[in-house]
Amino acid sequence: MIEVENLTKRYGNVTAVDAITFSAKHGQVTGFLGPNGAGKTTTMRVLTGYMPPTSGKAVIAGFDVFDQSMEVRKRVGYLPENVPLYRDLTARGYLMYIGEIRGVKDRRARADEVLERVGLLDRAESRIRTLSKGMRQRVGLAQALIHDPEVLILDEPTIGLDPIQVLELRDVVRELGKEHTLLFSTHILSEAEQVCDNLVIINRGTIVAQGAPSELRTTLAQGGRVLVRVDADSEAAVSLISQLPGVDHAEVQMDGIAVSPKSADIDPRPTIARAVIEKGWNLIELRPLAVNLEEIFLELTRQQEQAAEEAAVAEEMEVAQS
Amino acid sequence: MRAIFAVFKREFALYFRSPIAYAIAFAVLFFMAILFNNFIAVGVQQQYPPYAPYAPNLLTFLLFLIAPLLTMRLLAEESREGTLETLMTLPMNESQFIIGKFLAAWGYYTILLLVTIIYYTLLWLVGTPDQGTAFASYFGAWLYGGAVIAVAMIWSAITEDQIVAAFLGAATVLVLYLAGFAASWVAVQPNTASSLGDFVRELGLQAHYNDTLAVGIIRAEDILYFVFMIVGALFITTRIVETRRWRA
Repeated sequence: MIEVENLTKRYGNVTAVDAITFSAKHGQVTGFLGPNGAGKTTTMRVLTGYMPPTSGKAVIAGFDVFDQSMEVRKRVGYLPENVPLYRDLTARGYLMYIGEIRGVKDRRARADEVLERVGLLDRAESRIRTLSKGMRQRVGLAQALIHDPEVLILDEPTIGLDPIQVLELRDVVRELGKEHTLLFSTHILSEAEQVCDNLVIINRGTIVAQGAPSELRTTLAQGGRVLVRVDADSEAAVSLISQLPGVDHAEVQMDGIAVSPKSADIDPRPTIARAVIEKGWNLIELRPLAVNLEEIFLELTRQQEQAAEEAAVAEEMEVAQS
Repeated sequence: MRAIFAVFKREFALYFRSPIAYAIAFAVLFFMAILFNNFIAVGVQQQYPPYAPYAPNLLTFLLFLIAPLLTMRLLAEESREGTLETLMTLPMNESQFIIGKFLAAWGYYTILLLVTIIYYTLLWLVGTPDQGTAFASYFGAWLYGGAVIAVAMIWSAITEDQIVAAFLGAATVLVLYLAGFAASWVAVQPNTASSLGDFVRELGLQAHYNDTLAVGIIRAEDILYFVFMIVGALFITTRIVETRRWRA
């Protein structure tokens, strides 16, 4: 169980994580999703006791990460982003070293057990420097499992792996999620969608949305925005569509045109379809936006930026008035 | 304790698997052997009494090179490779980690020092060296080494660059070694209290070894000086690792 409340981390003037609140339940995989630099690694470093929060609170397995750091560390397994390992040691030797510091009993047997779990027992005697990136990642994961922790925190575990290794690792993560509290970060949306029971979307240090992937999709689909694809010049299409009745504005997004209706209860699709056909273009696709996570994410960050802009404008007006 | 021992074991074993430790041992022992050979030859010719602290004295001088080479890797590498992040999320605090590392370097130095006892035993072939002086000087050189290693280790915590750590470590140790010269310069300056020169001298390493332990005088203040150097330097190192981590 991980409970984070109003957690803030500042580096000098830069706010990396700004008052985030979320929780991760036991027996679930919680995905921490966001672009690079969103504050995922910083949050994880605070949770694992590597660095203290500037303010706010985080409780893991009933212990405060700052006040009871040692208790938290005993119960958390952590795989850092770049998977730092000792290249001079063998896979087993490394696990036994970490196990010894952690005070694991029957270290050798336990090391072999976790190596088997990550499918690397046959390379137990290989020096880490001779292992491939994917194997190292698995050694890092084995390290996080050596003391059978309640909570697992994995920072971008699939980064830099080939597609087959990614699939394998996702299976391992899903499997581990059943018996642990598992928090894992990624910037790959499809991955989060496949693996996670619960999703926390973070951008620029703040949480933009959280919930089950399917929930997030339905809430966002209700915004009424639709995606249009026509086989015509996109500028011409945008100018045509944005002048239709009921359409607030249209813009090019990804490989199509995103259309916002004037209000959420207007469905602009029939009007758009007719207009496109009448123009003599072919309508290739017309569907509600935010059906997959890529779009959910773009929608959320768009909303966040819009809100920020509005706030900035309001502030300017206030300044002008006074 | 368990964590300290685990870190110590790994680091100590690593010295015997890395070329640098063998290079240090070879250079030190080879250099010492040549000088010792010459020293014995002249000593026998001139009928000098066998001088027991020969090896430890030479070793304390060479420490300005030995200590930084032993300590430069210890923390700089963990920090550069990122392995510090894993270690500092284990149930182990900075001081246990740093004490383990320090003990490994000091342990390696201790072995080097014990090997030089060969030179002392060789002195028995040509005469009767003073056993009390021998004990005091070896004991002194052991503490001296601990203090110098602890001080040189500070730089390994400050910088991620091993070469920079070694260079600054050597410079720091040399300054501490040469404090006696600074003291005599301070003492002859007009308008300074004569006690200021003494104060500067007492800060240096030589004042607590050369005139006392190396001639067989074991004083509590000298032992305390070295112990405080070790404890103080380790404390500073701990704080540096802590702040670097908290800011990182």
